[in-house]
Amino acid sequence: MLIGAHLAKFRRLHAVLERFDPLVDKEMWIWNAMNGGVHLLNAALHKIGVTAEVDSFHSQLEGLYVVPDRTGGNLRDALHPPGDVMHVGQPPIAAPLPPRIVRACAALRSIEDLREPYVRGDRQPEPGDDRRWRDRYLECVNELVAEMGVDGGEST
Amino acid sequence: MKIDEHRAKARNIERSLLRCTLDDYETVIEGCMLAGTHHFNILLHDRGSPLEQDVMHAEFLSVAVRRKSRVMMPGVLEALDEIERFRTSYVRGDLPGGTQAAQRALECLDVLRSAAHQRI
Repeated sequence: MLIGAHLAKFRRLHAVLERFDPLVDKEMWIWNAMNGGVHLLNAALHKIGVTAEVDSFHSQLEGLYVVPDRTGGNLRDALHPPGDVMHVGQPPIAAPLPPRIVRACAALRSIEDLREPYVRGDRQPEPGDDRRWRDRYLECVNELVAEMGVDGGEST
Repeated sequence: MKIDEHRAKARNIERSLLRCTLDDYETVIEGCMLAGTHHFNILLHDRGSPLEQDVMHAEFLSVAVRRKSRVMMPGVLEALDEIERFRTSYVRGDLPGGTQAAQRALECLDVLRSAAHQRI
């Protein structure tokens, strides 16, 4: 997607995230934090030029995109270089990344790693996990916002 | 996971969705996918699915499992497929019509929840 569209998605997802309690709503908190982080990451990767700012959406299959026909409303499948990433490292980015983005990716991956145990599985959080999860999410957001020099809509 | 655990996960996700409106369509669609997948796993377990692991995305099921699922649970796989299709256009993408997609995702989730409840 285009940078502006990614930023708009991030802001919308971040706004909803603030309504969720990381412990009570852990599944949706984790999922929204991940989705918001990925949109912000895509905006940053496009902005520094390591991925292309293309009007296409990543599908569920790594490296497969769909391209919208903005006038007719149809979608067509397309294979092209990234483009948006679906998750950290999917698809992999060959170019070296600035330190802030490397740190953001590590933080985002730690949020993505919560999916299996806490969203698809039934592990229960330990005391303090909510703070640790929030800290990692905010680390991701703050690093990306700093890299881009934009207002991410963040309230930290 | 066991059926009771899937049911508890689905219930918790659906409770979280009560904090959202249709205007939060990205979150609603994703929540419907997550809760709907737990309902789908309940149905598979109830029918003695030979799958060793829980289903993560219906799109990735084998052709054989998809065909059998359609016969065993008419309309259920189709409902989950429809929710999953919305993700590319309205969650990863920015097509117009997200609010209507979220409404339809909730209707599909009703199909999945009803089927899971009827069997347990």
